Amino acid sequence: MPMNRHRLSPAAAVLAVSLSLLVTSDIRADTAGSPVEGGSLTWGVETEPATLNPHLNGQAKTKLLLRNVFESLLARTADGGYVPWLATGYKISDDGQTYVFNLRGDVKFSDGTKLDAGAVVTNLVKLKDPAYSGSISAGPISHLAEAKALDDLTIELTLKQPYAPFLEFASSLEIVSPAAFASTQMKSGGPGVAGTGPFILDRYTKGQEIHFVKNPDYRWAPSTAAHQGPAYLDEVTYRFLPESSVRTGALTSGQVDLIEGISGNDASLFRDNSEFSYQSALNTGTPYSLFLNSTFGPTADVRVRKALIASVDLKAVLKSVYRGERKRAWGITSPIDTKLYDASIESSYGNDPKLANQLLDDAGWTVRDTGGYRSKDGERLTIEIVQAQATVRDQRDVLLLALQAQAKQQAGIDLRIAYVDAGTYADRRSSGKFGSIPNSRTPAGDGYDIEYHYLPIDQGGSVNYSRAAAPELLNWLQAASSTLDQKTRFDLYARLQRFAIIDQGYALPLYVPDDQIAAAVAVQGEGFRPFHQLPENAYDIWLKR
Amino acid sequence: MTLDNPAFIDELPLGSPSRIVRFRHSLWSRVLGRVGSGVVVLWAAVTLSFASLQIAPGNIVNLLVGDQLPTPEVEAAIRAEWGLDEPLIVQYLRYLWRILHGDFGRSYVLQSDVTSLILSQLWPTLKLTSAALVVAIVFAVTAAVLTAGRRWPRRLASAAELVLVSTPSFWLGIVLLFVFSFTLKLFPVAGDKNFSSLVLPALSLGLSLGAVVSQVLRQGLENALEEPFALTVRSWGCSDLTLRLRHCLRHASLPAVTLTGWLVGGLLSGAVITEQVFGRPGLGKVTVDAVLGKDLPVVLAVAIFSALIYVVLSTLVDLLYLFLDPRLRTRNR
Repeated sequence: MPMNRHRLSPAAAVLAVSLSLLVTSDIRADTAGSPVEGGSLTWGVETEPATLNPHLNGQAKTKLLLRNVFESLLARTADGGYVPWLATGYKISDDGQTYVFNLRGDVKFSDGTKLDAGAVVTNLVKLKDPAYSGSISAGPISHLAEAKALDDLTIELTLKQPYAPFLEFASSLEIVSPAAFASTQMKSGGPGVAGTGPFILDRYTKGQEIHFVKNPDYRWAPSTAAHQGPAYLDEVTYRFLPESSVRTGALTSGQVDLIEGISGNDASLFRDNSEFSYQSALNTGTPYSLFLNSTFGPTADVRVRKALIASVDLKAVLKSVYRGERKRAWGITSPIDTKLYDASIESSYGNDPKLANQLLDDAGWTVRDTGGYRSKDGERLTIEIVQAQATVRDQRDVLLLALQAQAKQQAGIDLRIAYVDAGTYADRRSSGKFGSIPNSRTPAGDGYDIEYHYLPIDQGGSVNYSRAAAPELLNWLQAASSTLDQKTRFDLYARLQRFAIIDQGYALPLYVPDDQIAAAVAVQGEGFRPFHQLPENAYDIWLKR
Repeated sequence: MTLDNPAFIDELPLGSPSRIVRFRHSLWSRVLGRVGSGVVVLWAAVTLSFASLQIAPGNIVNLLVGDQLPTPEVEAAIRAEWGLDEPLIVQYLRYLWRILHGDFGRSYVLQSDVTSLILSQLWPTLKLTSAALVVAIVFAVTAAVLTAGRRWPRRLASAAELVLVSTPSFWLGIVLLFVFSFTLKLFPVAGDKNFSSLVLPALSLGLSLGAVVSQVLRQGLENALEEPFALTVRSWGCSDLTLRLRHCLRHASLPAVTLTGWLVGGLLSGAVITEQVFGRPGLGKVTVDAVLGKDLPVVLAVAIFSALIYVVLSTLVDLLYLFLDPRLRTRNR
């Protein structure tokens, strides 16, 4: 194994260049210098994991800490490719139905168990069992027909039918020590659930912090990491600070070394300050969008959906709400995923109040009521946006208020915003009685996020909040997931994107969710995971003395 | 408050034997009565929470499926795991049976054991609320005693209290953090580690309670200072401060104690926001998340523990009355 201790190996330099195309950062020249071993780091984070079990935890925001412990078979490169990690390589059969992974022979879980084919198979088999994984068993894993160990270090996965996004799923699944499945701690996670990562979970104080220590035996970092061998830091503590202004204050006063989740208002505080570094990166997955219900209320009429999309000046709204710190979204997936995203949709619609009013006039919403809203047959043109209270973050409440004002002013549409508890939300979702649900799904990749949003509800569209059921959607999505030819897939998703956004107005894409990190200058090597662009774990981080 | 009860003026010590016996008797009958009614309150808390969560919108299976695909196998597995396929009355009785054995079940959302979850979060919350209570009492007594019946100090203190009462504790917390943690760096921002990490949260939670109590206490003090006994005490040559602390505070504290006992419940719910701002562990956030996510086992356990805290507190308040007002002791034979 190469023990590369240089900061800028050729591979890392190439990576850094390709990353810099996607990541806006202000890393200065003084970051060069050789990494120092040792020290401890405190990281202020927004979200506390509901469970520390990486299989059952669905919170993207907690991956940055779970990835200290849990690793997967392949790592992704910035351009969306796959490189070896716990697996040295993989092969997909020509019919796209059989996947073979070869494992490294020198990997050990921190509980002493060796990583072998049996361990990976146990993970996959358990995940398929609803008694262990609940609703997750109905996700991408449901495409798996059989997982078996061909020999000690080779596994073969057979799918029920070809499914292109499966590689992304299988290669990114966090592998947990098979010994942990017998633990009573398994479902909640904790020190008893071992992984192979560069850090070991040491203690967890709910509501306060989680503490990891270095795994001294770690020798299997992927080539996308900036170094090889054990982590630099001896220990790392994540403090849960749910309030954004408190995280900011904790960093500026030196009580934490690094924070994630910086509000648009605070970004300039760090960006323009030589005491700190600031980086942000767009997520993969579906943008935060208003999905417009095509089966209920006024939005059942395609003209009303298109009118709403045309009515708002989103550029101005985003600028005023986020001070230019968030990137506008145009399509059905994140612009990072250039293998699936067709950028030609950008600037091709929106901010056209004349068109919006024309469409609404045609649809019969011609009378203005006393509130200044359009109405028809005594009914006001009301679209109710339903959002679960618990999922409101990143000033999205302010964003929705700004949209509400625009829709009224430009087209006389009454956007009513309802924040509801989880129970009401689940009821409204399953009954289909809502005007719109705002949603994003990050990080996801390789198209399965698009499937969740646009497959028919009863055929895998678990978050199909526009309740779209046009037969074209199913045809395109099935064709796209059953071929491994990238060009064909790109074309199919591009057609779907035009159909869904421009022709049918199923959704109004708002902005591309991103992650932000800010650190004191002494902190070096922090950054984002290639491709998925969530904040990376603490493996490459070191402290300048 | 009249002058014809001599015990009230000269503060008879509790030393005489007959008094002790009488007091103990009334104490025990009260405690027993309290324990009985406490059990009923706990049972009512469990039952009402159980019923209201059933009535609340949203089916638990749907909630646990989340935004994944609800296949029949998944739904069956979830029902089997949490015992949701039994009739409600069976689930309810089974739950009662389990809690009698100290088993509060496992959280639907956090997947962890509820008993250890609550116990690990209860202590930080109790620490925070007790510290806030101390802040409130010290603030209220100091402000009331020093300013009652004095024109300008009274006005200033009243104004300050009004500001504190109307300041959201979220905002007060941020301001305190900004000044004392981020700028002066005197106190740490977050966590539950040592005494210094308790100071700012206790202030932000306790000050507004202290301000409310102080207003009531001051009013009481002013009334007491107008009473004829105050004149008598003054005629003995006592200093003004002694009059206020030794004689009048007792009169004034009855309504203030009642109010405080009642407001401590507010401390428990206010702890949610303080815990959030200061990144402290505690029951507050656990409760809010559990209610929003319809995490039945956690909600029920929190209901039981908070009812328990209320029962204990109101018992303590009642006992405090006995100490404060001798008339209640003799009446209660």
